[in-house]
Amino acid sequence: MSNLAFNSIRKTFGSTVALQGLDLDVHDGELIALLGPSGCGKTTALRIAAGFEAADSGRVVVGADDISNLPAHKRNMGMVFQSYSLFPNLDVSANVEYGLRTRKVDKAERRRRVADILELVELSDHTTKYPHQLSGGQQQRVALARALAIEPSVLLLDEPLSALDAKVRSNLRDEIRRIQTELGITTLFVTHDQEEALGISDRIGVMSQGRLEQLGTPAEIYGNPSSAFVARFIGSMNEIPATVVDTKTVRVLETVVPTARSHDFPAGEPINLLVRPEDTSIVGNGDDGLVGTVVSQTFQGSSTDVSVRLTVLDLLITVHVVGSTEGIYRTGDQVKVGIDAERAVFEPAS
Amino acid sequence: MSGRPLRSRFTRLGPNLVLLVALVFFMAPLLSTARQAVQSVPMPLLNWSTLFDKLTLDGVKRIFDEENFWPTLRTSLVLAGATVIITLALLVPTALYVHLRLPRARALIEFLTVLPYVVPPVALAAGVAAFYRANARWFFTSNYALVPFYVVMALPFTYRAIDAGIKAIDVRTLVDASRSLGAGWGTTIRRAVLPNMASSLISASFLTATVVLGEFTIAITLAKQTFPTFAFEFFGRDFQGGVALALLTLVATTVLLGALTILTRPKAVRAARKADRLARATSSTPLGT
Amino acid sequence: MTNTTIALDGGRTDSAAPAARPVPWRSRFGPWIGLLPFFGFLFLFLLLPTYGVVKKAFIDEAGAFSTAAISDVLGTERQAFYGSLKLSFVTALLGVVFGTMLAYAAATAERPKWLRSLVSAFSGVAANMGGVVLAFLFITLLGRQGLGTKLVREGLGYDLYGTGWFDISSFWGWVTVYMYFQIPLMVLVTLPAIDGLKPAWREASSNLGGTTWTYWRRVGLPVLAPSMLGGFLLLFANAFSAYATVYALNTQSNVVPVKISFGLRNDVGGRVTTPYALATCMIVVLAVAMGGYLLLRKRAERWQVS
Repeated sequence: MSNLAFNSIRKTFGSTVALQGLDLDVHDGELIALLGPSGCGKTTALRIAAGFEAADSGRVVVGADDISNLPAHKRNMGMVFQSYSLFPNLDVSANVEYGLRTRKVDKAERRRRVADILELVELSDHTTKYPHQLSGGQQQRVALARALAIEPSVLLLDEPLSALDAKVRSNLRDEIRRIQTELGITTLFVTHDQEEALGISDRIGVMSQGRLEQLGTPAEIYGNPSSAFVARFIGSMNEIPATVVDTKTVRVLETVVPTARSHDFPAGEPINLLVRPEDTSIVGNGDDGLVGTVVSQTFQGSSTDVSVRLTVLDLLITVHVVGSTEGIYRTGDQVKVGIDAERAVFEPAS
Repeated sequence: MSGRPLRSRFTRLGPNLVLLVALVFFMAPLLSTARQAVQSVPMPLLNWSTLFDKLTLDGVKRIFDEENFWPTLRTSLVLAGATVIITLALLVPTALYVHLRLPRARALIEFLTVLPYVVPPVALAAGVAAFYRANARWFFTSNYALVPFYVVMALPFTYRAIDAGIKAIDVRTLVDASRSLGAGWGTTIRRAVLPNMASSLISASFLTATVVLGEFTIAITLAKQTFPTFAFEFFGRDFQGGVALALLTLVATTVLLGALTILTRPKAVRAARKADRLARATSSTPLGT
Repeated sequence: MTNTTIALDGGRTDSAAPAARPVPWRSRFGPWIGLLPFFGFLFLFLLLPTYGVVKKAFIDEAGAFSTAAISDVLGTERQAFYGSLKLSFVTALLGVVFGTMLAYAAATAERPKWLRSLVSAFSGVAANMGGVVLAFLFITLLGRQGLGTKLVREGLGYDLYGTGWFDISSFWGWVTVYMYFQIPLMVLVTLPAIDGLKPAWREASSNLGGTTWTYWRRVGLPVLAPSMLGGFLLLFANAFSAYATVYALNTQSNVVPVKISFGLRNDVGGRVTTPYALATCMIVVLAVAMGGYLLLRKRAERWQVS
């Protein structure tokens, strides 16, 4: 086991810049999710690590070795693809055995390792089935087993869950995390699904336009996004126009709201305040807040998202209320929305 | 550094060579035929300086002087028309019926439509001679006796084309939609289903026609005078005229195929028109019934 | 009120049921009646002729049962049968090799976007282009006085007809002409299979330590194999039943279809029922080839789906 490092990796496809100097260090035994919209360069980074694409400049390092010039088949990395990457002419055990045969592992040892790894992914009962006889989730488990069988120094996962149904997806996500922790294998996980990234990773790298926007733990990324892009990409955000008063407060309409984030916007500057739904609340009539009308309510079991149209700003915002609001608010009700801007992100008004 | 672009450029060398050789192999006979058809320089005298000498349309003219040209062409065109009509009349209802009423018969029907590959034209001709010469001589002696066997010969192509056309339009939903709007079966098929299958019907018809217009084996074995048997006999007497006729046939086929491609092209405009027609068909069906 | 409604409903359902629901016989066999025209047509114009052929193959002049005609196929007509098998085998084999190469070249070409559709459209036309016209095309190219023959003689200094192995009206000439429809037919068969090769398989293979050769040996070729073998059988059947091309190249060609047609037209020489015996054996060979083709196609489709 060892770490995987990208050092100033640049890559262009024709005139499109896919990666503009990526620096990233996946620590030994750590799982980092690269998260971003399509075309942000996350898949390119993964494919450069695997050796399917060559970087224009920069180095890929595993442990102490610079592997930038090593062809893909000598890199000893396990990779799980989006879907349908199992060899259709080979059964489950032959698929898992594939990498062991190329490594000339002897037969008894191959058998043992295939059996072990299939047990790990809970597919011991399906060894003689062919890929077309398996469900999508089972196929991806086999693909994971196949990647792990070679005892790779690094595991690369290229949106392995994107083709699966919601339920199967979350089960397999937890499964991947369990196995990854159990084996302590250095893992790079590429995804465009923020929920997936938040649920599975030690750290998340949010990417945009070929750059790493922010690298941090899921809690940091969610609670303390470094930019408006990250804030918007992870979770949902209300956008509220405000004016800077000083370094500690902003004003929304006539209401003065305290903030905690350091910023260098001058006083009087109009800005957009990005506030999470759980940092807004419906407050009593006597409290400070913005007046609005309840437009709709979406009950989600443990909580309810209440949509409120703010009267003066003519703006729709979402308020996160714990529990059910049935019998408390009705569509059309006049309410007051309070804003907690402690964690709010600032963005210049457009 | 890993040299991937370099290697992929290198590995294209083989495929490009294959494409080039294929181009030469498939174009050369066409070019030599074109030359032969319109130039009367004998081969030993042909060189760069005579490459464009003695261009002539005499060969082409002689085709039209042949007394059997028009009659045999007419025979073959009538045979083609009759084969197309019977093919559509037999296969369209059958294929629709299988899709709508009897999906479990699909595998059987598909199997049956491949059978003509097992009984090749020459064996079919032998069978016609064996069975119909003895049992229905009146039928056997007519030129039109060829039609049903041409329908059988073209079956593997035509059924597949029609079947694909039905699969492409989700006929079940179309029929349900039309029927729920109050249309009867006749109106549904005529105004909702067939117009949407137009392109597959056209290509099935074209396939059938080309099979018939080029069919030589059964015709010559059963001693019928059709266009291909005329072409063969003419070629034996007049080399250049025969080659010109071959070229003319190819050009005509290509032009027809081009027209077909344009007719059946799934353009946005055509799709829009189709949707419009469908909407009109389904909305006006209550009156239609 | 409520009771009345229930009673009414129940009564109607009971009385209507026998009329609305078809009797068991109809429900089982009724729908098949709609296919009678199709079945009838095939019976009249495919099955009866076939029956006529097979029946005549097993009788003698007097109409009594006899296997004499069938034994002719392995006796006096052995050369023709061997000639047909050889021609079909060689053209199918070469067709598979060159057709697969051409399909692969077209499928993997990126540069001109229209190249692929051009190859597949042309293949669709050329695969059905057997016959008299095709023979004429090649006579103008590779006949004794052909343009290609001249170019090869004067450009490369090689006389195609010099050593006697090549003649447009004998075996290798036929093979060359047959390639014009065999290669495109193989392209049509194998193009979907080549498209079905997922890039992820190649990448997974190299990721697991396999070289390009490992990939082709353990994944690429095994996945293509059913299509290629099926294509071979289809091409074999195609060449085996072809008549017009080889007849137009040489009316004396010693192959089965030419013998059958000749025997039917000229009731002279040999046994009258020999053409029928030849046709029967032809049908048997084709049934085996096509049966194998259908089985292999099913297998190939299974892999293409997953």
